[in-house]
Amino acid sequence: MTEQRHPDARPPHTLHRPVLASALMAAVATAFVLGLTGLPTEGAPLPAIARHAMQIALPKWGQQEVVSEIVYGSRGFDTFGETFLLLAAVLSVVVLSRGREPRAEYLGEATAGRREQAEIDPQDQADQGETEARSAERAEEAGTESAEGEETSGGPPPAADPDSIGLGTRAPERAAAMTVVVRGAARTSAVFLFVAGIYLAAWGFTPGGGFPGGAVLTGVALLLYGALGHQRINRLVRPNLLEPLELAGAIGIIVVGVLGLARAGSMFANFLRLAEPGSILAGGSEQLYSGAELVEVATGLTIAIFSLLGIGHDWAPDEQEPDA
Amino acid sequence: MILANYLAAATVFSLGLLLIMMHRDLVKIVLGLSLMEASCYLLLVSMAYRRHSTAPVLSGPPKGQSPQDLVNGPVADPVLQNFCLTAIVIGVAVTAVFLTIAVRAAQHYRCVDADDLTALHG
Repeated sequence: MTEQRHPDARPPHTLHRPVLASALMAAVATAFVLGLTGLPTEGAPLPAIARHAMQIALPKWGQQEVVSEIVYGSRGFDTFGETFLLLAAVLSVVVLSRGREPRAEYLGEATAGRREQAEIDPQDQADQGETEARSAERAEEAGTESAEGEETSGGPPPAADPDSIGLGTRAPERAAAMTVVVRGAARTSAVFLFVAGIYLAAWGFTPGGGFPGGAVLTGVALLLYGALGHQRINRLVRPNLLEPLELAGAIGIIVVGVLGLARAGSMFANFLRLAEPGSILAGGSEQLYSGAELVEVATGLTIAIFSLLGIGHDWAPDEQEPDA
Repeated sequence: MILANYLAAATVFSLGLLLIMMHRDLVKIVLGLSLMEASCYLLLVSMAYRRHSTAPVLSGPPKGQSPQDLVNGPVADPVLQNFCLTAIVIGVAVTAVFLTIAVRAAQHYRCVDADDLTALHG
Protein backbone atom coordinates (compact mmCIF):
# COMPACT_ATOMS: atom_id res chain seq x y z
CA MET A 1 0.00 0.00 0.00
CA THR A 2 2.67 2.50 0.94
CA GLU A 3 4.69 1.78 -2.21
CA GLN A 4 1.91 3.20 -4.37
CA ARG A 5 2.17 6.94 -4.14
CA HIS A 6 -0.67 9.39 -4.20
CA PRO A 7 -0.99 11.08 -7.60
CA ASP A 8 -0.71 14.54 -6.01
CA ALA A 9 2.30 13.62 -3.88
CA ARG A 10 5.64 15.27 -4.48
CA PRO A 11 8.37 13.13 -6.05
CA PRO A 12 10.40 11.20 -3.49
CA HIS A 13 13.62 12.81 -2.32
CA THR A 14 15.76 10.21 -0.71
CA LEU A 15 19.19 11.81 -0.33
CA HIS A 16 18.57 15.16 1.35
CA ARG A 17 16.66 13.65 4.25
CA PRO A 18 19.41 11.49 5.79
CA VAL A 19 22.03 14.21 5.17
CA LEU A 20 20.00 16.99 6.77
CA ALA A 21 18.77 14.73 9.58
CA SER A 22 22.28 13.54 10.41
CA ALA A 23 23.62 17.11 10.41
CA LEU A 24 20.82 18.33 12.70
CA MET A 25 21.21 15.31 14.97
CA ALA A 26 24.97 15.89 15.21
CA ALA A 27 24.40 19.57 16.10
CA VAL A 28 21.78 18.71 18.75
CA ALA A 29 23.93 15.90 20.17
CA THR A 30 26.92 18.24 20.42
CA ALA A 31 24.86 20.88 22.21
CA PHE A 32 23.53 18.22 24.57
CA VAL A 33 26.95 16.81 25.37
CA LEU A 34 28.31 20.29 26.06
CA GLY A 35 25.32 21.18 28.22
CA LEU A 36 24.90 17.92 30.08
CA THR A 37 28.56 17.58 31.03
CA GLY A 38 28.12 20.85 32.94
CA LEU A 39 25.25 19.50 35.05
CA PRO A 40 25.75 18.73 38.75
CA THR A 41 27.08 15.22 39.25
CA GLU A 42 26.30 12.63 41.91
CA GLY A 43 28.54 14.33 44.48
CA ALA A 44 26.81 17.71 44.35
CA PRO A 45 24.75 18.91 47.31
CA LEU A 46 20.95 18.82 47.00
CA PRO A 47 19.38 22.02 45.64
CA ALA A 48 17.87 24.29 48.29
CA ILE A 49 14.33 23.62 47.06
CA ALA A 50 14.78 19.86 47.49
CA ARG A 51 16.22 20.29 51.00
CA HIS A 52 13.33 22.62 51.86
CA ALA A 53 10.86 19.95 50.75
CA MET A 54 12.62 17.43 52.98
CA GLN A 55 12.40 19.79 55.94
CA ILE A 56 8.68 20.60 55.66
CA ALA A 57 7.40 17.14 54.72
CA LEU A 58 6.87 15.90 58.28
CA PRO A 59 6.09 19.07 60.27
CA LYS A 60 3.84 20.75 57.71
CA TRP A 61 2.20 17.80 55.98
CA GLY A 62 2.79 14.81 58.28
CA GLN A 63 4.06 13.01 55.21
CA GLN A 64 6.97 10.53 55.25
CA GLU A 65 7.05 10.21 51.47
CA VAL A 66 8.73 13.41 50.31
CA VAL A 67 7.99 12.95 46.59
CA SER A 68 4.27 12.73 47.39
CA GLU A 69 4.57 15.84 49.55
CA ILE A 70 6.03 17.70 46.56
CA VAL A 71 3.47 16.35 44.06
CA TYR A 72 0.41 17.22 46.14
CA GLY A 73 1.83 19.83 48.53
CA SER A 74 4.69 22.10 47.49
CA ARG A 75 3.94 21.73 43.77
CA GLY A 76 0.22 21.12 44.18
CA PHE A 77 -0.76 23.90 41.81
CA ASP A 78 1.62 22.62 39.10
CA THR A 79 0.17 19.14 39.48
CA PHE A 80 -3.27 20.70 39.08
CA GLY A 81 -2.17 22.14 35.71
CA GLU A 82 -0.62 18.85 34.61
CA THR A 83 -3.78 16.97 35.55
CA PHE A 84 -5.88 19.19 33.34
CA LEU A 85 -3.31 18.78 30.57
CA LEU A 86 -4.00 15.06 30.92
CA LEU A 87 -7.74 15.77 30.77
CA ALA A 88 -7.24 17.86 27.62
CA ALA A 89 -5.26 15.03 26.00
CA VAL A 90 -7.99 12.52 26.88
CA LEU A 91 -10.64 14.85 25.46
CA SER A 92 -8.61 15.18 22.25
CA VAL A 93 -8.48 11.41 21.88
CA VAL A 94 -12.22 11.15 22.54
CA VAL A 95 -13.07 13.84 19.98
CA LEU A 96 -10.76 12.36 17.35
CA SER A 97 -11.75 8.75 17.85
CA ARG A 98 -15.52 8.91 18.12
CA GLY A 99 -16.57 10.44 14.84
CA ARG A 100 -19.14 7.70 14.41
CA GLU A 101 -20.53 7.64 17.90
CA PRO A 102 -24.29 8.27 17.96
CA ARG A 103 -24.04 11.26 20.28
CA ALA A 104 -21.86 13.04 17.70
CA GLU A 105 -24.44 12.47 15.01
CA TYR A 106 -26.34 15.65 15.82
CA LEU A 107 -23.58 17.41 13.92
CA GLY A 108 -24.32 15.09 11.03
CA GLU A 109 -20.76 14.78 9.70
CA ALA A 110 -21.11 11.11 8.82
CA THR A 111 -24.46 11.58 7.09
CA ALA A 112 -23.29 14.69 5.25
CA GLY A 113 -20.07 12.93 4.25
CA ARG A 114 -21.94 9.98 2.77
CA ARG A 115 -24.30 12.31 0.88
CA GLU A 116 -21.43 14.40 -0.46
CA GLN A 117 -19.51 11.29 -1.49
CA ALA A 118 -22.55 10.00 -3.35
CA GLU A 119 -22.96 13.34 -5.18
CA ILE A 120 -19.30 13.74 -6.12
CA ASP A 121 -18.64 10.18 -7.16
CA PRO A 122 -21.83 8.16 -7.55
CA GLN A 123 -19.90 5.32 -9.22
CA ASP A 124 -17.54 4.87 -6.29
CA GLN A 125 -18.19 1.55 -4.62
CA ALA A 126 -16.59 0.03 -1.55
CA ASP A 127 -13.74 -2.37 -2.27
CA GLN A 128 -13.39 -5.77 -0.65
CA GLY A 129 -11.17 -4.53 2.17
CA GLU A 130 -13.59 -1.79 3.09
CA THR A 131 -16.55 -4.17 2.91
CA GLU A 132 -14.81 -6.65 5.20
CA ALA A 133 -13.78 -3.93 7.64
CA ARG A 134 -17.29 -2.51 7.83
CA SER A 135 -18.78 -5.99 8.18
CA ALA A 136 -16.40 -6.87 11.03
CA GLU A 137 -17.15 -3.58 12.75
CA ARG A 138 -20.91 -4.07 12.50
CA ALA A 139 -20.49 -7.60 13.86
CA GLU A 140 -18.36 -6.33 16.73
CA GLU A 141 -20.88 -3.64 17.61
CA ALA A 142 -23.68 -6.23 17.54
CA GLY A 143 -21.73 -8.40 19.98
CA THR A 144 -21.45 -11.42 17.72
CA GLU A 145 -19.01 -12.33 14.99
CA SER A 146 -21.58 -13.92 12.72
CA ALA A 147 -24.02 -11.02 12.52
CA GLU A 148 -25.72 -10.16 9.23
CA GLY A 149 -24.46 -13.35 7.61
CA GLU A 150 -21.37 -11.61 6.27
CA GLU A 151 -18.78 -13.82 7.89
CA THR A 152 -15.96 -14.38 5.42
CA SER A 153 -13.22 -16.01 7.46
CA GLY A 154 -14.84 -19.46 7.54
CA GLY A 155 -14.69 -21.94 10.40
CA PRO A 156 -16.99 -22.10 13.38
CA PRO A 157 -18.17 -18.78 14.81
CA PRO A 158 -16.46 -17.92 18.10
CA ALA A 159 -18.44 -18.52 21.25
CA ALA A 160 -19.80 -15.43 22.97
CA ASP A 161 -18.64 -16.82 26.32
CA PRO A 162 -14.92 -17.68 26.24
CA ASP A 163 -15.32 -20.02 29.22
CA SER A 164 -17.55 -22.30 27.14
CA ILE A 165 -14.63 -23.12 24.84
CA GLY A 166 -13.22 -26.53 25.81
CA LEU A 167 -9.56 -27.28 26.45
CA GLY A 168 -7.66 -28.15 23.28
CA THR A 169 -10.17 -26.44 21.01
CA ARG A 170 -8.48 -24.69 18.14
CA ALA A 171 -8.98 -20.99 18.54
CA PRO A 172 -11.00 -19.35 15.81
CA GLU A 173 -9.24 -16.70 13.80
CA ARG A 174 -11.17 -13.87 15.40
CA ALA A 175 -11.14 -15.20 18.95
CA ALA A 176 -11.73 -12.39 21.40
CA ALA A 177 -10.35 -14.21 24.43
CA MET A 178 -7.11 -16.07 25.09
CA THR A 179 -6.62 -19.63 26.39
CA VAL A 180 -8.02 -20.87 29.69
CA VAL A 181 -4.53 -20.74 31.24
CA VAL A 182 -4.11 -17.06 30.39
CA ARG A 183 -7.67 -16.27 31.45
CA GLY A 184 -7.19 -17.99 34.81
CA ALA A 185 -3.87 -16.24 35.44
CA ALA A 186 -5.31 -12.87 34.45
CA ARG A 187 -8.38 -13.29 36.68
CA THR A 188 -6.20 -14.24 39.64
CA SER A 189 -3.55 -11.57 39.24
CA ALA A 190 -6.07 -8.83 38.42
CA VAL A 191 -7.45 -8.99 41.97
CA PHE A 192 -4.01 -8.57 43.54
CA LEU A 193 -3.01 -5.84 41.11
CA PHE A 194 -6.25 -3.94 41.71
CA VAL A 195 -5.72 -4.03 45.48
CA ALA A 196 -2.07 -3.03 45.00
CA GLY A 197 -3.11 -0.06 42.85
CA ILE A 198 -5.52 1.18 45.51
CA TYR A 199 -2.91 0.54 48.23
CA LEU A 200 -0.31 2.63 46.40
CA ALA A 201 -2.56 5.66 46.63
CA ALA A 202 -4.33 4.97 49.93
CA TRP A 203 -1.29 4.70 52.14
CA GLY A 204 0.70 7.45 50.51
CA PHE A 205 3.95 5.53 50.95
CA THR A 206 4.70 5.53 47.26
CA PRO A 207 6.12 8.41 45.27
CA GLY A 208 3.18 10.13 43.66
CA GLY A 209 0.34 8.16 45.29
CA GLY A 210 -2.54 8.50 42.84
CA PHE A 211 -0.38 8.76 39.70
CA PRO A 212 1.21 5.28 39.84
CA GLY A 213 -1.95 3.86 41.47
CA GLY A 214 -4.08 5.10 38.58
CA ALA A 215 -1.64 3.68 36.04
CA VAL A 216 -1.85 0.28 37.76
CA LEU A 217 -5.68 0.31 37.60
CA THR A 218 -5.50 1.10 33.87
CA GLY A 219 -3.08 -1.81 33.53
CA VAL A 220 -5.60 -4.12 35.23
CA ALA A 221 -8.29 -3.09 32.72
CA LEU A 222 -5.88 -3.73 29.83
CA LEU A 223 -4.86 -7.10 31.28
CA LEU A 224 -8.49 -8.22 31.46
CA TYR A 225 -9.16 -6.86 27.98
CA GLY A 226 -6.25 -8.80 26.54
CA ALA A 227 -7.11 -12.04 28.31
CA LEU A 228 -10.92 -12.08 28.26
CA GLY A 229 -11.83 -9.96 25.26
CA HIS A 230 -13.81 -6.77 24.96
CA GLN A 231 -17.22 -8.34 25.58
CA ARG A 232 -16.26 -9.33 29.13
CA ILE A 233 -15.20 -5.84 30.20
CA ASN A 234 -17.87 -3.86 28.39
CA ARG A 235 -19.82 -3.42 31.61
CA LEU A 236 -16.81 -1.84 33.32
CA VAL A 237 -15.06 -0.02 30.51
CA ARG A 238 -17.81 2.08 28.96
CA PRO A 239 -18.04 5.82 28.41
CA ASN A 240 -21.24 6.22 30.44
CA LEU A 241 -19.40 5.03 33.54
CA LEU A 242 -15.82 6.25 33.02
CA GLU A 243 -16.53 9.77 31.75
CA PRO A 244 -18.62 10.85 34.78
CA LEU A 245 -16.01 9.23 37.04
CA GLU A 246 -13.21 11.15 35.37
CA LEU A 247 -15.08 14.42 35.69
CA ALA A 248 -15.83 13.58 39.34
CA GLY A 249 -12.07 13.17 39.87
CA ALA A 250 -11.43 16.53 38.20
CA ILE A 251 -14.11 18.23 40.30
CA GLY A 252 -12.66 16.60 43.43
CA ILE A 253 -9.24 18.11 42.66
CA ILE A 254 -10.77 21.56 42.16
CA VAL A 255 -12.73 21.26 45.43
CA VAL A 256 -9.58 20.28 47.38
CA GLY A 257 -7.73 23.27 45.90
CA VAL A 258 -10.51 25.77 46.58
CA LEU A 259 -11.04 24.49 50.13
CA GLY A 260 -7.33 24.98 50.75
CA LEU A 261 -7.64 28.53 49.44
CA ALA A 262 -10.71 29.28 51.55
CA ARG A 263 -9.63 27.66 54.80
CA ALA A 264 -5.83 27.83 54.76
CA GLY A 265 -5.03 30.79 52.54
CA SER A 266 -3.62 29.23 49.36
CA MET A 267 -4.66 26.73 46.70
CA PHE A 268 -4.10 23.12 47.85
CA ALA A 269 -2.86 24.18 51.29
CA ASN A 270 -3.63 21.60 53.95
CA PHE A 271 -6.96 22.26 55.70
CA LEU A 272 -7.29 19.00 57.62
CA ARG A 273 -5.86 17.89 60.94
CA LEU A 274 -2.63 15.93 60.46
CA ALA A 275 -2.83 12.27 61.42
CA GLU A 276 -0.06 9.97 62.62
CA PRO A 277 2.65 9.74 59.89
CA GLY A 278 2.48 6.39 58.14
CA SER A 279 -1.25 5.96 58.74
CA ILE A 280 -3.90 6.02 56.01
CA LEU A 281 -4.96 9.56 56.97
CA ALA A 282 -1.40 10.94 57.03
CA GLY A 283 -0.79 13.91 54.78
CA GLY A 284 -4.02 15.76 55.55
CA SER A 285 -5.72 17.08 52.42
CA GLU A 286 -2.91 15.60 50.31
CA GLN A 287 -4.63 12.25 50.66
CA LEU A 288 -7.85 13.67 49.23
CA TYR A 289 -5.87 15.17 46.34
CA SER A 290 -4.10 11.86 45.77
CA GLY A 291 -7.40 9.94 45.82
CA ALA A 292 -8.98 12.31 43.30
CA GLU A 293 -5.85 12.02 41.16
CA LEU A 294 -6.13 8.21 41.31
CA VAL A 295 -9.64 8.40 39.86
CA GLU A 296 -8.60 11.01 37.29
CA VAL A 297 -5.52 9.14 36.05
CA ALA A 298 -7.11 5.67 36.08
CA THR A 299 -10.22 6.74 34.18
CA GLY A 300 -8.40 9.20 31.90
CA LEU A 301 -5.79 6.72 30.71
CA THR A 302 -8.42 3.97 30.36
CA ILE A 303 -10.67 6.22 28.26
CA ALA A 304 -7.75 7.33 26.07
CA ILE A 305 -6.42 3.81 25.45
CA PHE A 306 -9.79 2.16 24.90
CA SER A 307 -10.96 4.99 22.64
CA LEU A 308 -7.89 4.32 20.54
CA LEU A 309 -8.48 0.55 20.59
CA GLY A 310 -12.15 0.93 19.72
CA ILE A 311 -11.70 3.58 17.06
CA GLY A 312 -14.24 3.24 14.26
CA HIS A 313 -12.95 1.67 11.05
CA ASP A 314 -14.05 4.62 8.99
CA TRP A 315 -12.10 3.64 5.92
CA ALA A 316 -12.01 6.01 3.01
CA PRO A 317 -12.49 4.20 -0.31
CA ASP A 318 -9.18 3.13 -1.82
CA GLU A 319 -8.66 4.89 -5.13
CA GLN A 320 -5.53 2.90 -5.96
CA GLU A 321 -7.05 -0.56 -5.95
CA PRO A 322 -9.57 -1.83 -8.45
CA ASP A 323 -12.92 -2.79 -7.00
CA ALA A 324 -13.21 -6.46 -6.17
CA MET B 1 29.65 7.64 36.98
CA ILE B 2 26.42 9.49 36.36
CA LEU B 3 27.91 11.27 33.34
CA ALA B 4 27.37 8.05 31.37
CA ASN B 5 23.63 8.34 32.10
CA TYR B 6 23.61 11.93 30.86
CA LEU B 7 25.33 10.93 27.66
CA ALA B 8 22.96 7.97 27.23
CA ALA B 9 20.01 10.38 27.58
CA ALA B 10 21.58 12.68 24.95
CA THR B 11 22.10 9.69 22.65
CA VAL B 12 18.53 8.43 23.02
CA PHE B 13 17.15 11.94 22.42
CA SER B 14 19.31 12.36 19.31
CA LEU B 15 18.22 8.96 17.98
CA GLY B 16 14.58 9.96 18.47
CA LEU B 17 15.24 13.19 16.59
CA LEU B 18 16.99 11.28 13.80
CA LEU B 19 14.02 8.92 13.54
CA ILE B 20 11.64 11.87 13.16
CA MET B 21 13.80 13.62 10.59
CA MET B 22 14.65 10.54 8.53
CA HIS B 23 11.20 9.02 8.19
CA ARG B 24 7.82 10.27 7.08
CA ASP B 25 5.98 7.26 8.48
CA LEU B 26 3.58 8.67 11.09
CA VAL B 27 3.98 5.69 13.42
CA LYS B 28 7.77 6.00 13.30
CA ILE B 29 7.45 9.73 14.04
CA VAL B 30 5.37 8.90 17.14
CA LEU B 31 7.98 6.30 18.14
CA GLY B 32 10.69 8.94 17.74
CA LEU B 33 8.77 11.35 19.98
CA SER B 34 8.35 8.58 22.56
CA LEU B 35 12.11 7.95 22.46
CA MET B 36 12.73 11.65 23.08
CA GLU B 37 10.30 11.55 26.00
CA ALA B 38 12.02 8.49 27.44
CA SER B 39 15.38 10.24 27.25
CA CYS B 40 13.94 13.06 29.38
CA TYR B 41 12.84 10.53 32.03
CA LEU B 42 16.35 9.04 32.08
CA LEU B 43 17.91 12.49 32.38
CA LEU B 44 15.60 13.60 35.21
CA VAL B 45 16.11 10.43 37.25
CA SER B 46 19.87 10.55 36.65
CA MET B 47 20.04 14.18 37.76
CA ALA B 48 18.18 13.20 40.93
CA TYR B 49 20.78 10.55 41.85
CA ARG B 50 23.31 11.28 44.60
CA ARG B 51 26.22 9.01 45.59
CA HIS B 52 25.55 6.82 48.68
CA SER B 53 22.05 8.28 48.92
CA THR B 54 18.79 6.70 49.99
CA ALA B 55 15.29 7.24 48.67
CA PRO B 56 13.72 10.50 49.93
CA VAL B 57 11.55 8.71 52.48
CA LEU B 58 11.43 9.76 56.12
CA SER B 59 10.72 6.39 57.68
CA GLY B 60 12.74 3.58 59.25
CA PRO B 61 15.47 5.76 60.83
CA PRO B 62 18.51 4.02 62.37
CA LYS B 63 18.40 3.31 66.12
CA GLY B 64 18.65 6.45 68.21
CA GLN B 65 17.51 8.76 65.38
CA SER B 66 14.11 10.26 64.65
CA PRO B 67 12.59 10.49 61.14
CA GLN B 68 13.31 14.23 61.24
CA ASP B 69 17.03 13.40 61.60
CA LEU B 70 16.90 11.88 58.10
CA VAL B 71 16.07 15.28 56.64
CA ASN B 72 19.70 16.38 56.40
CA GLY B 73 21.02 12.97 55.35
CA PRO B 74 22.11 11.95 51.84
CA VAL B 75 18.99 11.41 49.72
CA ALA B 76 18.11 11.48 46.03
CA ASP B 77 16.55 14.73 44.78
CA PRO B 78 12.77 14.34 45.31
CA VAL B 79 11.85 17.35 43.15
CA LEU B 80 13.30 15.84 39.98
CA GLN B 81 11.72 12.47 40.77
CA ASN B 82 8.40 14.29 40.98
CA PHE B 83 8.95 15.88 37.55
CA CYS B 84 9.68 12.46 36.08
CA LEU B 85 6.58 10.93 37.65
CA THR B 86 4.13 13.42 36.21
CA ALA B 87 5.95 13.49 32.86
CA ILE B 88 5.40 9.75 32.40
CA VAL B 89 1.62 10.00 32.83
CA ILE B 90 1.34 13.04 30.56
CA GLY B 91 3.61 11.28 28.03
CA VAL B 92 1.25 8.31 27.80
CA ALA B 93 -1.75 10.56 27.16
CA VAL B 94 0.04 12.69 24.57
CA THR B 95 1.27 9.57 22.75
CA ALA B 96 -2.35 8.37 22.64
CA VAL B 97 -3.34 11.67 20.98
CA PHE B 98 -0.58 11.31 18.36
CA LEU B 99 -1.54 7.69 17.64
CA THR B 100 -5.20 8.64 17.27
CA ILE B 101 -4.25 11.29 14.72
CA ALA B 102 -2.09 8.71 12.90
CA VAL B 103 -4.97 6.21 12.79
CA ARG B 104 -7.38 8.84 11.49
CA ALA B 105 -4.87 9.96 8.85
CA ALA B 106 -4.28 6.34 7.83
CA GLN B 107 -8.00 5.72 7.49
CA HIS B 108 -8.55 8.87 5.45
CA TYR B 109 -5.52 8.66 3.16
CA ARG B 110 -5.08 4.85 3.20
CA CYS B 111 -1.42 5.28 4.09
CA VAL B 112 0.74 6.52 6.96
CA ASP B 113 3.34 8.39 4.91
CA ALA B 114 3.33 12.08 5.80
CA ASP B 115 4.43 12.88 2.24
CA ASP B 116 1.13 11.56 0.95
CA LEU B 117 -1.05 13.68 3.23
CA THR B 118 -1.69 16.18 0.49
CA ALA B 119 -4.85 17.95 1.65
CA LEU B 120 -2.97 21.05 2.78
CA HIS B 121 -0.76 21.37 -0.30
CA GLY B 122 -1.11 24.73 -2.03
